Amino acid sequence: MNSRRTFLRNVSGAALAAGALSSFPAWARLAAQSGASDPPKIDGPGIDVPGEDGLILRSYRFIDLETPVEYFNTWLTPVPRFFVRNHMHEPSELTADDWRLAVLGEIEKPLTLTLTDVAKLESHAVVNTLECAGNGRSLHRPQVPGVQWGKGAVSTARFSGPRLRDILQRAGVKPAGKHVMFRGLDEVPGKVPPFIRSIPIEKALDSDTLIATHMNGAPLTKHHGFPARALVPGWIGAASCKWLTEIKVLESEFSGNFMSPGYRFPNQPAKPGDAVKPEDTHPLTALNVKSVISSPLDSARVKPGKIAIQGAAWAGEADIAKVEISTDGGASWNTAALGHDQARYAWRLWRYEWKAKPGDYSVLSRATDTKGRVQPDTAEWNPSGYLFNAVDQVKIHVA
Amino acid sequence: MLFAPLLALAASVVFAQKPAVKPTEDLPLGAMQAKANTACLECHEARIILQQRLSKAAWTKEVDKMIKWGAVVDASDHDALVDYLSTNFNPDQPAYSPSRTANEESSKRVNAVRK
Repeated sequence: MNSRRTFLRNVSGAALAAGALSSFPAWARLAAQSGASDPPKIDGPGIDVPGEDGLILRSYRFIDLETPVEYFNTWLTPVPRFFVRNHMHEPSELTADDWRLAVLGEIEKPLTLTLTDVAKLESHAVVNTLECAGNGRSLHRPQVPGVQWGKGAVSTARFSGPRLRDILQRAGVKPAGKHVMFRGLDEVPGKVPPFIRSIPIEKALDSDTLIATHMNGAPLTKHHGFPARALVPGWIGAASCKWLTEIKVLESEFSGNFMSPGYRFPNQPAKPGDAVKPEDTHPLTALNVKSVISSPLDSARVKPGKIAIQGAAWAGEADIAKVEISTDGGASWNTAALGHDQARYAWRLWRYEWKAKPGDYSVLSRATDTKGRVQPDTAEWNPSGYLFNAVDQVKIHVA
Repeated sequence: MLFAPLLALAASVVFAQKPAVKPTEDLPLGAMQAKANTACLECHEARIILQQRLSKAAWTKEVDKMIKWGAVVDASDHDALVDYLSTNFNPDQPAYSPSRTANEESSKRVNAVRK
């Protein structure tokens, strides 16, 4: 349904990029369109990371890159602008010819698939908003250890590849098989545990859970898990294991570091700063309801008159019901218009037009999903800083 | 006249390129800098540390976790390393300001000038 529109959008994106020597850089034109006047700050030429376009550098070795919120202005995020989260070093020697995917565990018939085998399976496409569980970690108080993501460890792409279900059905899952484990080829420094996680069999057999080989129609790039990754839509990014090399059907949940103590959330709200016992936590699965303002940018100076307040909103496995905007610090709320591009696990872009008089404003956005979940004023603090989803806020100066 | 904007662009790019951009950052000076370099930066770069704002208790937990994961820290250096980290990267320090990767615009300009 959306392919033509998306195609046109991609073409216009390419045209923008191709006009590199025109008088205004792309950010200035985008900012001008949205009413914001402050460009994102890029000091000097930036640090060269081939294939990546103006992202926030959280770590160079291993690589962690955040998407600046001003890039949340296209429904599909171009791959060079898609955030990158690595726990460890990327595989140094991994070629399409040598790569193998092993399927084993509680199955009738173990399989070893080549990339050619995978490519022969029926391909399915899912537009998914992928968000790191730690997105917004730097905004929790008190601060907690981990990559100090701002608001942009989230992006949206059309992922495609065979359904995990089709591969599991070929292998024949035994009745004892209740969880499906993914092992990535991340290169582990020191004695760091390998990147292994598992998902319940129900989610593994869902028709939208993929072994993705493509992103926005092109083969996965190395930063995004070439040649194949899991794609567990609507769930925290860590579920979608990159550089996938092994799928193992287990009787019970995998118990290694990245399932416990990693990626767990308190069963009951914790007092900010308190420790939480492991037995009082559960593994993170689906994402929260959330919206982020992409324009105007925080601290922007904006001219009085019509201002487009824009952003994106998502809710994991649920749909966005509405996004409300406040231009008076939360005293009153107005409903934003939702963009027409939509898919089950994808964010909705939204827009609210506001006639601004000179002054200083606190602009807020608040999303509500179809399960009735509402973005809270304060995110639930937890020791690892996961799932930050407080009402978003930018302060702007209209003059 | 036609080339004036390009020349201006070339000049600005040369200017912008002057300070060579080092992809990784350094840990701050201090008695434990060298030890922290070997203990921590063997596996990850300094930015992972520079962006943290943690209490001494939280730094102690992090250091102990990293030792478990293979960081080589002499027992006699343990407390000094925790002090070094919590002195430099505690919640009272100003927020860390991250760099950006090159964007398409800046990369293309640099390449055009190099030709």
